[in-house]
Amino acid sequence: MSLFDELGGADAIDTAVDIFYRKVLADDRISHFFDTVDMEGQHTKQKAFLTMAFGGPNNYTGKDLREAHRHMNLTEEHFNAVAEDLLATLEELNVPQVKIDEVMSIVGGTKSDILNL
Amino acid sequence: MPAIFFEGEELDCRPGESVLDALNRHGKEIPSGCRAGVCQACVLLTDEQQVAARHQQGLSAAQRDLNYFLSCQCQPTSAIHVRRPDSGANRVRGKLVNREWLSDQVVRLQLDADMDYRPGQYITLWKDSSTARSYSLASHQTQDKWLELHVKHIPGGAISPWLCNDLKCGDELTLQGPMGSCVYSHTQDRPLLLAAIGTGLAPVLGVLKDALVNGHHGPIYLLVGAARHSGFYYQGALLRLVEEFPQVELQFLVQTWEGKACPGLIEADIYQYCRERFSDLSGYGVYLCGAPTFVQKMRKQAFMAGAAMSDIATDAFLAFGETS
Ligand SMILES: Cc1cc2nc3c(=O)[nH]c(=O)nc-3n(C[C@H](O)[C@H](O)[C@H](O)COP(=O)(O)OP(=O)(O)OC[C@H]3O[C@@H](n4cnc5c(N)ncnc54)[C@H](O)[C@@H]3O)c2cc1C
Ligand code: FES
Repeated sequence: MSLFDELGGADAIDTAVDIFYRKVLADDRISHFFDTVDMEGQHTKQKAFLTMAFGGPNNYTGKDLREAHRHMNLTEEHFNAVAEDLLATLEELNVPQVKIDEVMSIVGGTKSDILNL
Repeated sequence: MPAIFFEGEELDCRPGESVLDALNRHGKEIPSGCRAGVCQACVLLTDEQQVAARHQQGLSAAQRDLNYFLSCQCQPTSAIHVRRPDSGANRVRGKLVNREWLSDQVVRLQLDADMDYRPGQYITLWKDSSTARSYSLASHQTQDKWLELHVKHIPGGAISPWLCNDLKCGDELTLQGPMGSCVYSHTQDRPLLLAAIGTGLAPVLGVLKDALVNGHHGPIYLLVGAARHSGFYYQGALLRLVEEFPQVELQFLVQTWEGKACPGLIEADIYQYCRERFSDLSGYGVYLCGAPTFVQKMRKQAFMAGAAMSDIATDAFLAFGETS
């Protein structure tokens, strides 16, 4: 069973997105990428991202990820910051370590696409 | 360059240009209001289902099925066939039955129109076939006989001076809607924070009425902010309304104190006040209405204070041409 299903599917994931979004907004290293007037739109994007990271149904392809992040001049530090905030979110939700490892490895797999390497 | 086929006629569309702007540039009179995807004045129909689907935010299920789309939001990347909806997309005729100045800036309009709505939603009012603006509903569909709007008079504006001064009782006008999702949607025991500035009070009042009609018994914190004393209206009526309901706590907040005391009025910055008084908003239903800058700032603040994104409802009064 994927973490996505274990957490309770699409509805339950909203809580995880809220926690994660608060963390990135409070994170000076990356908050400027997320601090937009269109908070609902941003929330939707993050929901798609977490759904993918949690092994749920997703429509992302490597190409989409590349395209979406192409002009953002992202660095390793930005990527790590997001990963740390995600890790902290999972810990706050008391997700078991094996599942955390799964999620972090999915996210790690997107690194070259997100950083356009 | 993508082509637009407007009722059969082929017209060019510049890169990055919206369907609305392109058609206007070619001299086609396509009505518009907000140009921000909110008022729905600019709806058109298309045969390209996938195109339509990306620009249907806020439209009804029926309209979505019929491939209505918001032409101000759609920047075509390939050829698109569009036409005007002949039925006039969820419009009804209404009549002004009453107009009253609530302060020297704000008018209350009562309209007689046959429309199913929820308090806190908004409608788009048409002055003529190409000029329209949105206004929020302060009335309750079962408690109030007429639709009630609060309109702030903006000198030189295209619509509000007409609504505030020129339109006469008995005159007919076209209403479109209702739209929007800033409606009472929480269980009766949840704490609610309702915050408004200016005529943002209209939708907040609608939500408050609906909460009370639905027997809401959790605490309701009603905050009404203004820069100066002259920005308030309806104070007496609100004070009387909440007297009957001990679960409602009403607070007026003025930014610059001008020495005019009123029950429930304090001098405070509404953001600062909320940060201190409502430092933990987890579990709250939050309703934020009024100027877009206020709504955006408060939404972020409420979210950071623990309110779930799905529990924050907003009605941002975008001015014409402002994008969110
Ligand atoms: C969803 C929604 C709900 C709304 N609900 C309400 C409501 O309940 N009550 C209400 O009064 N308005 C409401 N508005 C705003 C309303 O739609 C109009 O924008 C407003 O009445 C001005 O229209 P106008 O034609 O008179 O002025 P316009 O011709 O549009 O503008 C004239 C000039 O005044 C400026 N301007 C516009 N609005 C303001 C303002 N508030 N303060 C200062 N300058 C301004 C414009 O930028 C422009 O330069 C709402 C808007 C939206 C999108
Ligand atoms: S929704 Fe397009 S002009 Fe308002």
